[in-house]
Amino acid sequence: MDASVFFQGGTLVLHQSEQHIRDMEHIPAPFQLVKSRWRCEAYHYGPLLSWFREQHIHNNVPRWQRLALKLHDTRELHDYQVKALDAWEAAARRGSVVLPTGSGKTLVATHAIRQVNASTVVLVPTIGLLYQWYCLLTNAFQTEIGVYYGGEKRVLPLTVTTYHSAGDLIAEYGNTFKLLICDEVHHLPAKTWGEAALMTPAPYRLGLTATYPTELEQGGDRWELDDLIGPIVYTQRLEELVGKQLAEYRTQRIRVNLTADERVAYDAAYAVYTGFVNERGLRRSHGPAWLHELMRLSAFDPAARRAFLARQQAQKIVESCQGKFAALEALLREHSGERILIFTESNAVAYTIASQYLIPVITHETHVAERKHILDAFQDGRYQAVVTSKVLNEGVDVPEAKVAIVLGGGASKREYIQRLGRILRKKEPLQAVLIEVLARKTIDEGKAQRRRVPREQC
Amino acid sequence: MLTSDLIRPRLRMQGSTVSVEMVDEQNPVLQQTARDLIELFKQHIGQSQSVWEEALDIYEGSRVDYVLIRGLAKVLIDGAEFTPLPTPLPPATLREQLFSRGPVFASHDLLHPTTRQEALEEVAGEVALLPQDLDALLFADRHATYLLSDPGPAWTPATLLARYNLELARGVLYWASHITIEASSNYKDLWRYIKLFKLMFWAEPAQNGGYRIDLDGPISPFVSATLRYGRQLAAFLPALMICDSWQMRAHVYPPQGRGEMIYRLDHTCSLHSHFKRSGEFDSRLEADFAHEFEQKIGNKRGHWRLTRESEVVLLGDTVMVPDFVLTDTDDENRRILIELVGFWHPQYLRRKIEKVRAANCPQLLLLVYKGLNVTGEAFQDVASEVIFFQHKPVMKEVMQTVESMTQRIYGPRPKRKIPKKRRQPQEQE
Repeated sequence: MDASVFFQGGTLVLHQSEQHIRDMEHIPAPFQLVKSRWRCEAYHYGPLLSWFREQHIHNNVPRWQRLALKLHDTRELHDYQVKALDAWEAAARRGSVVLPTGSGKTLVATHAIRQVNASTVVLVPTIGLLYQWYCLLTNAFQTEIGVYYGGEKRVLPLTVTTYHSAGDLIAEYGNTFKLLICDEVHHLPAKTWGEAALMTPAPYRLGLTATYPTELEQGGDRWELDDLIGPIVYTQRLEELVGKQLAEYRTQRIRVNLTADERVAYDAAYAVYTGFVNERGLRRSHGPAWLHELMRLSAFDPAARRAFLARQQAQKIVESCQGKFAALEALLREHSGERILIFTESNAVAYTIASQYLIPVITHETHVAERKHILDAFQDGRYQAVVTSKVLNEGVDVPEAKVAIVLGGGASKREYIQRLGRILRKKEPLQAVLIEVLARKTIDEGKAQRRRVPREQC
Repeated sequence: MLTSDLIRPRLRMQGSTVSVEMVDEQNPVLQQTARDLIELFKQHIGQSQSVWEEALDIYEGSRVDYVLIRGLAKVLIDGAEFTPLPTPLPPATLREQLFSRGPVFASHDLLHPTTRQEALEEVAGEVALLPQDLDALLFADRHATYLLSDPGPAWTPATLLARYNLELARGVLYWASHITIEASSNYKDLWRYIKLFKLMFWAEPAQNGGYRIDLDGPISPFVSATLRYGRQLAAFLPALMICDSWQMRAHVYPPQGRGEMIYRLDHTCSLHSHFKRSGEFDSRLEADFAHEFEQKIGNKRGHWRLTRESEVVLLGDTVMVPDFVLTDTDDENRRILIELVGFWHPQYLRRKIEKVRAANCPQLLLLVYKGLNVTGEAFQDVASEVIFFQHKPVMKEVMQTVESMTQRIYGPRPKRKIPKKRRQPQEQE
């Protein structure tokens, strides 16, 4: 019986008769005898190829397809992008390209895919970026793009997945991709995220990042990027690129009152909640972890449970108070004809607004194709407004809006800057406005104060 | 299966062992909660998932045992079926049409000549729906709007609590890197589920009979303690519980983080599997063979005891579970394994022949259906005996071959010391 090698769940497995094994001079290092089979991590595939040929081992690993991709992206590459691609080619299509944020890393990737012209999997850290890559690849190659994450699983020759879901995708379909692209590749050394790259046999690998981890940062974990992806093949520093220009903007706050009924319910809930937290001195005893402690207590202490529920109740009242809807309605009427983004704290409120005003909504439940449709239509003016909960916070390109209305949100500065960024990323200078709608004399005001960022720091 | 947030609060750690706090299935207070939930769930047949969730929220109120309540509710949901509302057009298409008319309001103004109601009516007319139906179908692809169509198994408070306990035990394995089990029956089902959940195993005979099996996944040996296969191990667990006698030792890394801990379970626990045992016989052929043996030979004539799938031939990373084992009742070491090769797909047959070859097992007797178009050639380099048959194996011929095989392999039969009458076929079960 002839010897062969096949792919199984992220490993390469030698299949051979006893006789054949004895005849082989020696089985090279990455292979280990595990449960009576010679096995190794799939990422050794490339370097092992010559040994397979030498030993006449039948290669059953590759299931990837050659493609006939045509690049429909007409943007011309900058010099540094051409150099980056050349360097990657020269390194036998293995390695990382380090380019500053906003300098067109993805354009390097689409050209790399076109050059390899074979099935490719792209790993990204967030669903937001997954969606962005989906749009980018759809537009660049004018073909169906697969996505694989919690909400949708469709595997196609060009597929985008999150680091979180990549392990499952690779275990099943690892050998159907010839090129592995890791966006924000500095995440890869993390404990579980590196496993996906380890389990992929793809001989061609491209890492993209703005911040390559230092050796020190890599050392603490289990694998090094150079092993998984290849070396850094090209670096371009930020100061060598032209800085981005931010648009003029202003911020505005609108304070609304709770109705009499809402006020009574809010005050009662707030009193229960703060009463408990103060009485037990949770902030004093647990510092920033006081909320976590409250949740822990609420699993057995009825008073803590009531306090926790009261907190939720207060938040709910504030988030969906009548005053905010009235203010939203007034703003929508006032800014008629302008591009408006509406941010809510919860999905429930986002769907309520969508249904009440017939405005398209994007939440984590929205599938990639519909997301793309909504944002494309928002871009070209068919939709005037889009309502969203937290999903558009992540580093995702959204068509510029002129007006951003924040109905609810946390105290996080990061979220605030990201939301601000949505309206700031502009091509033509125009006055943009970020409007926060706050419920007067509620937890809203404190949060808004805490997330406030001085303008010069944005 | 339960979500990990419903498991975590019930994990208990002591020294280097971890366990999960299960509930007393007979506790009347817990039974009452289970009964309430089953009743409440049934009342929501035909209602949407979001309506059910609101009702559950109200039921939960400010009770502190919400981890239990949500866990039981999750078991109910997992066993039930929710169906989307039928729509003439995909909801996304309906949304597209409606949203291109927004933002709209309840009243007109200069810049918004169309009200929400008018927009609904316009689009409803285009897609031949009533405006209120269009309104209701707008998000019909969200799970929250799906209707409870089938509440699933006929739960009783005790069965719901029992299943909840099983799900808790499974949940511990979400954080398992690998498990070791010992089992001594029902191998075919075990292998079937090990394969189904794409686990890797290493089996060896255990001291007390049965087998000791290590389970993990393909990449496990190369990365330290990956939790990648935790969900698969959890999914597999009920398969173990259909064995009569078993024990398990899991290497678990609880999220509360104290490094590796051990989780143990065995057949003395009160957990019951909801997996089905495969039927008594895989095929008619096997059933007929066993029946004929019982009729013609049985324990009246001869000195053989027939047991079904009671032995495993270990073949590295795979196993073979022969259909029958014939054990000489005078000398238990004298055993012949019988494999029936009946009416099968050619691919299956090829795999089977490969397995038989690899087994290199002289005490294996193959009974092969002739219509299969297999010739003696296919079995040429097989150590086993082969008998071909036309319709069904001829019992007389089979027993003659068995006798001559035992002679050849084990030598001449020992003189019978024990009178025949004292033999009891009780080991069978």
